[in-house]
Amino acid sequence: MSAETIILVLLIATALVFDFTNGFHDTGNAMATSIATGALKPKTAVLLAGVLNLVGAFLSVEVAVTVTTSVLKVQDSKSGHLLPNITPSMGLTIIFAGLIGGILWNLLTWLFGIPSSSSHALFGGLIGAGLAALGTAGVNWSGITSKVLIPAVAAPVIACLVAACGTWLVYRITRKVLQKRREEGFRWGQIATASLVALSHGTNDAQKTMGVIALALITTGHLTGDVKKDGLPFWIILSCALAIGFGTYIGGWRVIRTLGKGLVEIESPQGFAAEASSAAIILSSSAAGMALSTTHVATGSILGSGVGKPGAEVRWAVAGRMAVAWFITLPAAGLVGALSFWLSHGVKSLTGSDLAGDGLIFVILVALSFYMWWRAQQQKVDSKNVNADWDETTNSVVPAEVREATKVTKNKDTAAV
Amino acid sequence: MTYLESILKVLLVGLVLGAGLPAVFAAGLVAYSNGAGRTESDGSVHAPNPALKYFGILLFLFVAWVILTAVAWITRATLIHHFGFDPFPFMATK
Repeated sequence: MSAETIILVLLIATALVFDFTNGFHDTGNAMATSIATGALKPKTAVLLAGVLNLVGAFLSVEVAVTVTTSVLKVQDSKSGHLLPNITPSMGLTIIFAGLIGGILWNLLTWLFGIPSSSSHALFGGLIGAGLAALGTAGVNWSGITSKVLIPAVAAPVIACLVAACGTWLVYRITRKVLQKRREEGFRWGQIATASLVALSHGTNDAQKTMGVIALALITTGHLTGDVKKDGLPFWIILSCALAIGFGTYIGGWRVIRTLGKGLVEIESPQGFAAEASSAAIILSSSAAGMALSTTHVATGSILGSGVGKPGAEVRWAVAGRMAVAWFITLPAAGLVGALSFWLSHGVKSLTGSDLAGDGLIFVILVALSFYMWWRAQQQKVDSKNVNADWDETTNSVVPAEVREATKVTKNKDTAAV
Repeated sequence: MTYLESILKVLLVGLVLGAGLPAVFAAGLVAYSNGAGRTESDGSVHAPNPALKYFGILLFLFVAWVILTAVAWITRATLIHHFGFDPFPFMATK
């Protein structure tokens, strides 16, 4: 097995891991409101979302081979091949570093229970790696503005507007309906709209990873011919679909909790209107060729459903914290991407071995990922406490009782010492 | 500016489908609920009205139909590619 093959295998594994993190980061977009109102039990919700994401991933035939062309100038926009000035080794490392930036940012925001855009995390990582590799000439600045930045601002605003209108209409129309019937009717509606969001998420997001893997295979010569016409090899579609489906099923409970309990105290009609708004916007924007971040849309919708219901409580402090995280997503993921690229490049130049460079950043990725996962387990949020009351004093995603419990164990340990 | 056009398009479709459909669903719920009849807390009884109830169900079915059509529209290319089935044979393919 050549060094290049080993790097390729590591890269594909890393891409699937990114897809997996994309899955659990976005479960909440579809299901948080249904879990919060009790329309679906937590475990049922994530199972449903997982299956629908899997189906959705198979339904998308639009091959995003040119995934990097929106933000970088490293791929030919027609054939998907790397541009001639980029060596395969550099190309692979750029992709690798980009994925690492995306994964680490996804894990960090998950740890803090902050919904953030996985697409932006990946793009940020790629931009950082591209800058480190090629300088400003390697970056597609106009693409970033029109395909990433403008949609990022437009999406939550549109979603907030639509959901606010929907919520207001729904409450107004059903104001005389028996409370019990209203709750029950909208719970059923919630299941339908949440399913729609999960399905559309699958069709939208699995694409990105398929495109990245396709690029890596084209670069190493394992994928030839016209991918746009013939489509991708089935194993790529299958593995990406499974990764995102499984990730969704694991269910990023921390993010679900923030979306369902932290932003707005949600009732069924609000949840229904929020998810309907998200579904409509995600589907219509992808049909219009303007890919929006599902997280931005879902969060905007949930906020809108709070605004649209007279007398609803919206925690703007939590929303503000989220907005800050969104602003720094591109630069933060970019920084990690750039650092990863430089590290790999540096080691490659020192040792003359591509495998040493890419292997090192892979090991660092695994170590940091494990550390963040371990930190999360210390103050665990899972299906059992996802609906616990929100801690208004700290606005932390960790429920107050879990925080207290871990404090007690810590004190006990020091007392023993 | 073409982004403004796209944004307005998405906003419009979003409002019609994302706010309009929930409104239709809500109307269906009102019709169904009034059609099913109920007893108020003060003891007065509203008689069930089957016509209204079925109208409510009709509205629900309408919403379901719109959703299925939208999904078929989005996945049209896949359906043609994998199953040779075109849910909209009367519309030109891209």
